[in-house]
Amino acid sequence: MFNRELKKGSVEFLVLSLLEARPRHGYEIGKLIEARSKGRIQFRIGSLYPVLCRLEDRDLLSGRWVEKAGRRRRRYYRLTVAGRRFLAAQRSAWDEFVLTINHIARSENA
Amino acid sequence: MPDWAKFVRQNLRLSHLRPEREAEIVEDLAEQLDEAYAEALQRGLSSQQAEAVAMQHVVDWEALAIELGRSERGRETVMATLLHQAEDRDVAKRGRFSLLTDFCQDVHYALRVMRKSPGFTLIIILTLALGIGANTSIFSIVNAVLLRSLPYYDASRLVKITFNNPGIGLRDVPYSVPELEDLKSRAGVFEEVSVVVSGSTNLTGARQQPERLELLEVSPNYFSMLGASPQIGRLFGSQDFALGFAEAAVISDGLWRRSYGGDPNILGKRLKLDGDPVTIVGVLPARFRHPGKTVARDVEVWVTAGFSADPYPKPARNVKVAREAIGRLKPGIDVTQAQARLTAMASELRTDFPNDYPPEAKWTIEIRPLQDALVGNVRPQLLVLMAAVVLVVLIASVNIANLLLARASGRQREMALRMALGAGRFRVVRQMLTESLVLSFIAGVAGVLTAKLTLSFIIHFLPASVPRLAEVGVDRTVLLFALLISIFTGIIFGLAPAFQTMKADMTAAIREGTQGSGSSAKTFRLRSLLIVSELALAVVLMVGAGLLLRTFWGLLQENPGFNPSRVVTASFWLPNPNDPKTDVYANFAERTSFIRDVIRRVATIPGIDRAAMTSDLPGARPAITAALVIEDRATDSSQGLTAEVIRVSPDYFMLMQCPLIRGRFFLESDESGKQEVAIIDETTARRYWSGVDPVGRRLRLDRNTGSQRGNLSLPWVIVVGIVKDMKQDGLDTDGVPHIFRPIYQEAGRAMSVVARTPLPASLLESQIRSEIQSVDPTLPVFNIRSMNDVMDVSIAPRRFSAELVGVFAAVAMLLSSIGIYGLLAYMVGQRSREIGIRVALGAQRSDILTLILGKGLLLVGAGIAIGLVLASAAAPFIATLLYGVHPFDVTVFVTVPLVLMLVAFLATYIPARRATMVDPIIALHES
Repeated sequence: MFNRELKKGSVEFLVLSLLEARPRHGYEIGKLIEARSKGRIQFRIGSLYPVLCRLEDRDLLSGRWVEKAGRRRRRYYRLTVAGRRFLAAQRSAWDEFVLTINHIARSENA
Repeated sequence: MPDWAKFVRQNLRLSHLRPEREAEIVEDLAEQLDEAYAEALQRGLSSQQAEAVAMQHVVDWEALAIELGRSERGRETVMATLLHQAEDRDVAKRGRFSLLTDFCQDVHYALRVMRKSPGFTLIIILTLALGIGANTSIFSIVNAVLLRSLPYYDASRLVKITFNNPGIGLRDVPYSVPELEDLKSRAGVFEEVSVVVSGSTNLTGARQQPERLELLEVSPNYFSMLGASPQIGRLFGSQDFALGFAEAAVISDGLWRRSYGGDPNILGKRLKLDGDPVTIVGVLPARFRHPGKTVARDVEVWVTAGFSADPYPKPARNVKVAREAIGRLKPGIDVTQAQARLTAMASELRTDFPNDYPPEAKWTIEIRPLQDALVGNVRPQLLVLMAAVVLVVLIASVNIANLLLARASGRQREMALRMALGAGRFRVVRQMLTESLVLSFIAGVAGVLTAKLTLSFIIHFLPASVPRLAEVGVDRTVLLFALLISIFTGIIFGLAPAFQTMKADMTAAIREGTQGSGSSAKTFRLRSLLIVSELALAVVLMVGAGLLLRTFWGLLQENPGFNPSRVVTASFWLPNPNDPKTDVYANFAERTSFIRDVIRRVATIPGIDRAAMTSDLPGARPAITAALVIEDRATDSSQGLTAEVIRVSPDYFMLMQCPLIRGRFFLESDESGKQEVAIIDETTARRYWSGVDPVGRRLRLDRNTGSQRGNLSLPWVIVVGIVKDMKQDGLDTDGVPHIFRPIYQEAGRAMSVVARTPLPASLLESQIRSEIQSVDPTLPVFNIRSMNDVMDVSIAPRRFSAELVGVFAAVAMLLSSIGIYGLLAYMVGQRSREIGIRVALGAQRSDILTLILGKGLLLVGAGIAIGLVLASAAAPFIATLLYGVHPFDVTVFVTVPLVLMLVAFLATYIPARRATMVDPIIALHES
């Protein structure tokens, strides 16, 4: 599995990007991360939940209780406008970062 | 199916979270764990295995709790915002009818806010509770004494009747039985009239020691006129009508319990009052009080008489029997109409009976509403107290407003967010006002409870001369007042932060939070305004207190004209039985011999240097006033010549250390049968014999009373001496002329023995009593106390007002100083960055000090200036309470600003000094 520090640093980015398409509930986000990383990145509920709270506190997410007949109500999270802007900024920063690192790391062999 | 919510709750220890937020977290986590469990079940695991899989999702509950706690602090403002936003949307959906529900929500929210900062809330509630409590206490006194109508049937129609001879300067002159009949039948304005004679009586036979009781002689209709009902038995009625005294007596609840242990078989028991047997026919309820002055305390026994037979002389128009009367006006007649009719009737009587009404006297009848007569003289004092305590609560409210403003700055972001998210500005303001009202309501309840508990304690300190104290209590009117004051203060201190919120710049608030310089400047201005008003009110209170205290201290320094220290007094009352044959003291010689015996015996008590007798102790109560006829002065120019007459024994002046100015003191030989003599005081000499030596001159004293000797021609009295003025009528009264007569030539029945001794009254009490009772064992001796105590009682009301207002002023000064300190500390905090820059650019510590101090002292100066203007406007209103002090007393008006300046300077200096300690580097980094 990946280094713990790497995981910690990127979890916010991951969560935000997964909410870009549509709102999701907490457990679903964790399952999606696991599925899309083919099991290489796993987040327990206990690790993911505080991240959601933190992001919500910074107004990057907003949570909402949704009730459906016959089941417990669930809390769905969605990106806020600020959250979208932040995600875009993070994404370009990440791309630039990866590019730069690659450039330095690979250029030695060039 | 495992209970995941219970599981989460058991493991996740959250603290410092609001209950709703905690519930939300628990539910969310439980739901997610449930999903994990369900998923595991779906994969084919057993229930136990699925549970274990789910539980694996949270390993370190403690770390989770810490993480969640950290993120919660920032979340709260936003949550509150969103919550209210949801509520606002609900309101919009439901429509306007839910004003009450809105209010309930606001109250609910207010309580939540209060719970978040318990220390802050407690300070506010305590401060306010004290202020409201004090107001409630004083108001309950004002309400019971001044506002509530007297506790009698249809009390507004009850009046006090007095007879005056304004032509010769006499008021409250006695009246006769025929004059009483005129009131009843000829005047046509009264439904009922009752005689009232207050005095003492000696109760013998009931207990071992003879006891002095407060007695009231009344007409048989007295109780029916007041609408009183008995607790046991009956009250006076037509069957008790008698020319002289009836056998029936009515006693007070106090006497019944004290002397008879509340014996239910009290009716029919006999008492001996001044040797006369009476039968108890009824007991009054505990709350009943006679609506008038008494000798020493509440009336304990009532008897009824026709005042037309022994011991009263045969009725005649010029034979006077009593001084006081009360009456009930006929329905439909008001006081003004009745007064007009009585004035006309008096004029008719003066014409009809010219021999009985010398024209120069201008005899007249005056009526006054009974309540007014009873409480009129304490009204100014009570009103001043009420005004003072209202000022205190105003100052406290302003202080609280300042505190709330300071806190409101911290909540600006919350308020701005709410407004941005759709809550109307008005809604937010309403919320803030509701918060203030909830605070003040809670404080009000606490205040009322405090008042209820401390009221009896406070009443204990009130001077006994305040009437109707027994009626003081917390009733519906007082509760209403407390409610109004709570609402009033809540609005006052709620307006400031609400006003500020209304004008707040929303965008700036959201962006800058609490550091926004724009809004903080506005806040500072508003708070400064509040501080200035607080200071101004404090100045008014302090000036008032200063004037009252100066008056009081002045009185304490006042030379009473004699030396009251180391003098012990004891009073007694010679019995006046109805049957003259049983009157031991009817014979003047008996009385004189009794007096001589008592003086001699008291003087022999070890520790007593000297003893004397007087009819009226200085400062105790006013003596009888007589009209003077001065020889060699034309009769019409004798009009308005009056003096108080006091009878004393020969050693009296020497004992009291009252200096002789001219002539001589009384001698033992100045007795009955010899030349009638008198000693006058300086005021009398100055007023009636100006430019002439009064010693050797003659005068006549007319006391307008029916003499039992039936003597109509008054003897000439020679002035033999002049003494220095004594404060006979109290430390705050002067300019009243006094004439002294030898007690061996003229003696009444009420007397006090005075003794010069270094010993305290408590030590001598039993000895004095036994010496007096060795002369007459049936004589009760009462009020054995030091002369200083007697004088103190005369100024007790002033002492009380001055001290209480002084306490209020000190509280006001303290509150204002705290207010200034708070404001300047806030300012220094806000401007620490600016100060840091200044210092970095080269400003000295002293420059910073001057900057802050300057700001502070400017505020103080403004407050004091406005306060002095207000105080000047208010000072004339308390002029009636001042003695020897001008309402614009320079000392007070200069001292108060100086003291306040000094205290405020200290309050300003502390934050100013702290400002100089600002480290520029730290200050600049914090942005």
